Amino acid sequence: MDLAAIRRTYRRYAGHYDMVFGPVFHPGRRMAVETANQRPGRRILEVGVGTGLSLPLYRKDIQVTGIDISPEMLAKAREKVAEQQLENVEALLEMDAEALEFEDNSFDVVVAMYVASVVPNPDRLMAEMRRVCVPDGEILIINHFASENPVLRGLERTLKPLSKMLGFHPDMALDALPDEPDCPRVGVHRANIFGYWKLVHYRNGPAANGADVVDSQVGPD
Amino acid sequence: MNRKLLDILVCPICKGRLTWESGAGELHCRACRLAYPVRDGIPVMLEDEARTLSVEEMEQNK
Repeated sequence: MDLAAIRRTYRRYAGHYDMVFGPVFHPGRRMAVETANQRPGRRILEVGVGTGLSLPLYRKDIQVTGIDISPEMLAKAREKVAEQQLENVEALLEMDAEALEFEDNSFDVVVAMYVASVVPNPDRLMAEMRRVCVPDGEILIINHFASENPVLRGLERTLKPLSKMLGFHPDMALDALPDEPDCPRVGVHRANIFGYWKLVHYRNGPAANGADVVDSQVGPD
Repeated sequence: MNRKLLDILVCPICKGRLTWESGAGELHCRACRLAYPVRDGIPVMLEDEARTLSVEEMEQNK
Protein backbone atom coordinates (compact mmCIF):
# COMPACT_ATOMS: atom_id res chain seq x y z
CA MET A 1 0.00 0.00 0.00
CA ASP A 2 1.38 3.39 -0.91
CA LEU A 3 0.93 6.68 0.93
CA ALA A 4 -1.82 7.89 -1.40
CA ALA A 5 -3.82 4.71 -0.76
CA ILE A 6 -3.34 5.07 2.99
CA ARG A 7 -4.52 8.69 2.87
CA ARG A 8 -7.60 7.70 0.84
CA THR A 9 -8.47 4.91 3.26
CA TYR A 10 -8.22 7.11 6.33
CA ARG A 11 -10.10 9.95 4.66
CA ARG A 12 -12.93 7.42 4.44
CA TYR A 13 -12.44 6.26 8.04
CA ALA A 14 -12.01 9.65 9.72
CA GLY A 15 -15.69 10.43 10.35
CA HIS A 16 -16.51 7.06 11.92
CA TYR A 17 -13.14 5.98 13.27
CA ASP A 18 -13.73 6.66 16.96
CA MET A 19 -17.08 4.90 17.03
CA VAL A 20 -16.05 1.87 14.99
CA PHE A 21 -12.43 1.34 16.01
CA GLY A 22 -12.24 3.18 19.33
CA PRO A 23 -13.52 0.40 21.62
CA VAL A 24 -11.65 -2.39 19.79
CA PHE A 25 -8.32 -0.63 20.03
CA HIS A 26 -8.76 0.94 23.46
CA PRO A 27 -7.16 -1.78 25.66
CA GLY A 28 -4.00 -1.63 23.55
CA ARG A 29 -3.88 2.15 23.60
CA ARG A 30 -4.31 2.19 27.36
CA MET A 31 -1.58 -0.39 27.82
CA ALA A 32 0.91 1.52 25.65
CA VAL A 33 0.15 4.88 27.27
CA GLU A 34 0.41 3.38 30.77
CA THR A 35 3.87 2.13 29.87
CA ALA A 36 4.81 5.53 28.45
CA ASN A 37 3.36 7.25 31.54
CA GLN A 38 5.64 5.48 34.00
CA ARG A 39 8.03 8.38 34.36
CA PRO A 40 7.17 12.10 34.45
CA GLY A 41 8.56 14.90 32.33
CA ARG A 42 9.21 12.84 29.27
CA ARG A 43 8.80 13.88 25.67
CA ILE A 44 6.74 11.43 23.68
CA LEU A 45 6.22 11.07 19.96
CA GLU A 46 3.10 9.25 18.87
CA VAL A 47 3.51 8.03 15.29
CA GLY A 48 0.14 7.59 13.59
CA VAL A 49 -1.73 9.62 16.20
CA GLY A 50 -4.87 9.46 14.03
CA THR A 51 -7.94 11.03 15.61
CA GLY A 52 -6.06 11.46 18.89
CA LEU A 53 -7.93 8.77 20.84
CA SER A 54 -4.94 8.21 23.13
CA LEU A 55 -4.07 11.87 23.73
CA PRO A 56 -6.34 12.33 26.81
CA LEU A 57 -4.75 9.24 28.43
CA TYR A 58 -1.25 10.72 28.80
CA ARG A 59 -0.14 12.22 32.12
CA LYS A 60 -0.39 15.98 32.10
CA ASP A 61 3.31 16.33 32.90
CA ILE A 62 4.28 14.42 29.76
CA GLN A 63 4.72 16.38 26.54
CA VAL A 64 3.21 14.73 23.51
CA THR A 65 3.82 15.33 19.81
CA GLY A 66 1.65 13.46 17.32
CA ILE A 67 2.11 12.84 13.60
CA ASP A 68 -0.15 11.29 10.99
CA ILE A 69 -0.36 11.14 7.21
CA SER A 70 -4.11 11.81 7.08
CA PRO A 71 -5.18 15.46 7.41
CA GLU A 72 -8.78 14.37 8.03
CA MET A 73 -7.74 12.20 10.99
CA LEU A 74 -5.50 14.98 12.33
CA ALA A 75 -8.41 17.46 12.15
CA LYS A 76 -10.31 15.19 14.56
CA ALA A 77 -7.28 15.05 16.86
CA ARG A 78 -7.03 18.84 16.82
CA GLU A 79 -10.71 19.08 17.87
CA LYS A 80 -10.04 16.77 20.83
CA VAL A 81 -7.03 18.80 21.94
CA ALA A 82 -9.10 22.00 21.87
CA GLU A 83 -12.27 20.58 23.45
CA GLN A 84 -10.45 18.76 26.25
CA GLN A 85 -7.82 21.47 26.68
CA LEU A 86 -4.96 19.01 26.38
CA GLU A 87 -2.19 21.51 27.02
CA ASN A 88 0.49 18.82 27.17
CA VAL A 89 -0.01 18.13 23.46
CA GLU A 90 2.80 20.22 22.02
CA ALA A 91 2.14 19.71 18.33
CA LEU A 92 0.28 17.73 15.71
CA LEU A 93 1.95 17.41 12.31
CA GLU A 94 1.19 15.91 8.93
CA MET A 95 4.11 13.63 8.17
CA ASP A 96 5.12 10.26 6.71
CA ALA A 97 5.79 7.71 9.47
CA GLU A 98 8.73 6.42 7.40
CA ALA A 99 10.28 9.89 7.12
CA LEU A 100 10.09 11.52 10.55
CA GLU A 101 11.19 15.13 10.05
CA PHE A 102 12.80 15.52 13.49
CA GLU A 103 16.38 15.77 14.67
CA ASP A 104 18.00 12.61 16.03
CA ASN A 105 17.37 11.86 19.73
CA SER A 106 14.38 14.21 19.98
CA PHE A 107 12.09 12.05 22.15
CA ASP A 108 12.34 9.86 25.26
CA VAL A 109 9.58 7.52 24.14
CA VAL A 110 8.33 6.81 20.62
CA VAL A 111 4.98 5.03 20.30
CA ALA A 112 3.25 3.55 17.24
CA MET A 113 -0.16 2.01 17.74
CA TYR A 114 -1.76 0.05 14.92
CA VAL A 115 0.71 1.55 12.45
CA ALA A 116 3.32 -1.13 11.70
CA SER A 117 1.06 -3.17 9.42
CA VAL A 118 -0.27 -0.06 7.68
CA VAL A 119 2.99 1.47 6.42
CA PRO A 120 4.58 0.14 3.21
CA ASN A 121 7.99 -0.50 4.86
CA PRO A 122 7.90 -1.50 8.54
CA ASP A 123 11.73 -1.64 8.58
CA ARG A 124 11.97 2.01 7.65
CA LEU A 125 9.33 2.92 10.22
CA MET A 126 11.33 1.14 12.90
CA ALA A 127 14.63 2.72 11.80
CA GLU A 128 13.08 6.19 11.93
CA MET A 129 11.50 5.56 15.34
CA ARG A 130 14.89 4.48 16.67
CA ARG A 131 16.66 7.47 15.15
CA VAL A 132 14.42 10.10 16.77
CA CYS A 133 14.42 8.23 20.11
CA VAL A 134 17.18 8.94 22.64
CA PRO A 135 19.67 6.15 23.43
CA ASP A 136 18.15 3.91 26.12
CA GLY A 137 14.76 5.41 25.31
CA GLU A 138 11.68 3.32 24.82
CA ILE A 139 9.94 2.25 21.64
CA LEU A 140 6.42 0.89 21.98
CA ILE A 141 4.57 -0.80 19.15
CA ILE A 142 1.02 -2.04 19.30
CA ASN A 143 0.14 -4.16 16.37
CA HIS A 144 -1.73 -7.16 15.16
CA PHE A 145 0.65 -9.96 14.33
CA ALA A 146 -0.21 -13.01 12.30
CA SER A 147 -1.89 -15.62 14.42
CA GLU A 148 -0.19 -18.90 15.26
CA ASN A 149 -3.58 -20.57 15.23
CA PRO A 150 -3.87 -22.36 11.83
CA VAL A 151 -7.55 -21.48 11.37
CA LEU A 152 -7.04 -17.77 12.06
CA ARG A 153 -3.84 -17.81 10.02
CA GLY A 154 -5.85 -19.16 7.07
CA LEU A 155 -8.43 -16.40 7.51
CA GLU A 156 -5.70 -13.76 7.58
CA ARG A 157 -4.22 -15.13 4.35
CA THR A 158 -7.69 -14.99 2.79
CA LEU A 159 -8.03 -11.36 3.82
CA LYS A 160 -4.63 -10.39 2.46
CA PRO A 161 -5.87 -9.30 -1.00
CA LEU A 162 -8.25 -6.92 0.80
CA SER A 163 -5.41 -5.10 2.58
CA LYS A 164 -5.88 -2.01 0.41
CA MET A 165 -9.51 -1.70 1.40
CA LEU A 166 -8.93 -2.58 5.06
CA GLY A 167 -6.07 -0.12 5.34
CA PHE A 168 -3.71 -2.65 6.92
CA HIS A 169 -2.03 -5.98 6.26
CA PRO A 170 -3.81 -8.67 8.28
CA ASP A 171 -0.95 -11.17 8.12
CA MET A 172 2.18 -9.39 9.36
CA ALA A 173 4.45 -11.66 11.40
CA LEU A 174 5.95 -10.54 14.70
CA ASP A 175 9.34 -11.45 13.25
CA ALA A 176 8.85 -8.77 10.59
CA LEU A 177 9.89 -6.33 13.32
CA PRO A 178 13.53 -6.40 14.34
CA ASP A 179 14.89 -7.91 17.52
CA GLU A 180 18.51 -6.82 17.39
CA PRO A 181 21.18 -6.79 20.08
CA ASP A 182 21.30 -2.99 20.01
CA CYS A 183 17.52 -2.63 20.21
CA PRO A 184 16.23 -5.61 22.16
CA ARG A 185 12.62 -6.45 22.81
CA VAL A 186 12.19 -6.12 26.55
CA GLY A 187 8.62 -7.34 26.50
CA VAL A 188 5.85 -8.73 24.34
CA HIS A 189 2.45 -8.38 25.98
CA ARG A 190 -1.05 -9.29 24.92
CA ALA A 191 -3.06 -6.14 24.58
CA ASN A 192 -6.45 -7.83 24.75
CA ILE A 193 -7.98 -11.07 25.87
CA PHE A 194 -7.56 -12.85 22.55
CA GLY A 195 -3.98 -11.74 22.09
CA TYR A 196 -4.92 -10.51 18.63
CA TRP A 197 -3.13 -7.24 19.41
CA LYS A 198 0.25 -7.24 21.05
CA LEU A 199 2.36 -4.58 22.69
CA VAL A 200 6.02 -4.94 21.73
CA HIS A 201 8.30 -2.98 24.02
CA TYR A 202 11.85 -2.16 22.87
CA ARG A 203 14.75 -0.51 24.61
CA ASN A 204 16.61 1.64 22.12
CA GLY A 205 20.40 1.12 21.81
CA PRO A 206 23.03 1.10 23.25
CA ALA A 207 22.27 -2.47 24.16
CA ALA A 208 20.45 -2.97 27.43
CA ASN A 209 22.43 -5.54 29.38
CA GLY A 210 20.77 -8.80 30.18
CA ALA A 211 17.33 -7.72 29.07
CA ASP A 212 15.39 -10.94 28.83
CA VAL A 213 12.27 -11.02 26.76
CA VAL A 214 9.28 -11.18 29.06
CA ASP A 215 6.47 -12.92 27.27
CA SER A 216 3.26 -12.46 29.17
CA GLN A 217 1.18 -14.70 26.96
CA VAL A 218 -1.03 -16.86 29.10
CA GLY A 219 -2.64 -19.22 26.65
CA PRO A 220 -2.87 -20.32 23.02
CA ASP A 221 -3.20 -17.50 20.54
CA MET B 1 4.71 28.28 16.62
CA ASN B 2 6.10 26.36 19.56
CA ARG B 3 9.79 27.19 20.10
CA LYS B 4 10.58 23.70 21.33
CA LEU B 5 9.07 22.26 18.15
CA LEU B 6 11.25 24.48 15.96
CA ASP B 7 14.28 23.17 17.83
CA ILE B 8 13.65 19.59 16.70
CA LEU B 9 11.79 19.99 13.40
CA VAL B 10 13.79 19.62 10.16
CA CYS B 11 13.22 20.23 6.44
CA PRO B 12 12.04 17.02 4.71
CA ILE B 13 14.59 17.58 1.91
CA CYS B 14 17.84 18.88 3.40
CA LYS B 15 17.14 18.02 7.08
CA GLY B 16 18.19 21.55 8.03
CA ARG B 17 16.35 23.80 10.48
CA LEU B 18 13.21 25.70 9.48
CA THR B 19 12.08 29.21 10.28
CA TRP B 20 8.53 30.13 11.25
CA GLU B 21 7.14 32.94 9.10
CA SER B 22 4.14 34.14 11.06
CA GLY B 23 2.98 36.54 8.32
CA ALA B 24 2.75 33.81 5.71
CA GLY B 25 1.80 31.17 8.28
CA GLU B 26 4.44 28.87 6.83
CA LEU B 27 7.64 27.09 7.75
CA HIS B 28 10.46 28.14 5.46
CA CYS B 29 13.62 26.36 4.41
CA ARG B 30 15.86 28.97 2.82
CA ALA B 31 18.42 26.41 1.67
CA CYS B 32 15.79 24.55 -0.38
CA ARG B 33 13.74 27.70 -1.19
CA LEU B 34 10.64 25.91 0.02
CA ALA B 35 7.68 26.91 2.17
CA TYR B 36 5.78 24.24 4.08
CA PRO B 37 2.16 25.13 4.82
CA VAL B 38 0.67 25.14 8.32
CA ARG B 39 -3.03 24.33 8.01
CA ASP B 40 -5.25 24.92 11.04
CA GLY B 41 -2.15 24.87 13.20
CA ILE B 42 -0.89 21.58 11.71
CA PRO B 43 2.45 21.83 9.84
CA VAL B 44 2.43 19.76 6.66
CA MET B 45 5.89 18.23 6.43
CA LEU B 46 5.60 16.78 2.93
CA GLU B 47 7.66 17.79 -0.11
CA ASP B 48 4.66 17.47 -2.42
CA GLU B 49 2.72 20.06 -0.42
CA ALA B 50 5.54 22.61 -0.28
CA ARG B 51 5.61 25.82 -2.31
CA THR B 52 8.70 27.28 -3.96
CA LEU B 53 9.69 30.66 -2.56
CA SER B 54 9.89 33.46 -5.10
CA VAL B 55 13.02 35.54 -5.64
CA GLU B 56 11.19 38.48 -3.98
CA GLU B 57 10.40 36.39 -0.93
CA MET B 58 14.01 35.25 -0.69
CA GLU B 59 15.09 38.91 -0.84
CA GLN B 60 12.53 40.01 1.77
CA ASN B 61 13.53 37.36 4.25
CA LYS B 62 17.22 38.16 4.10
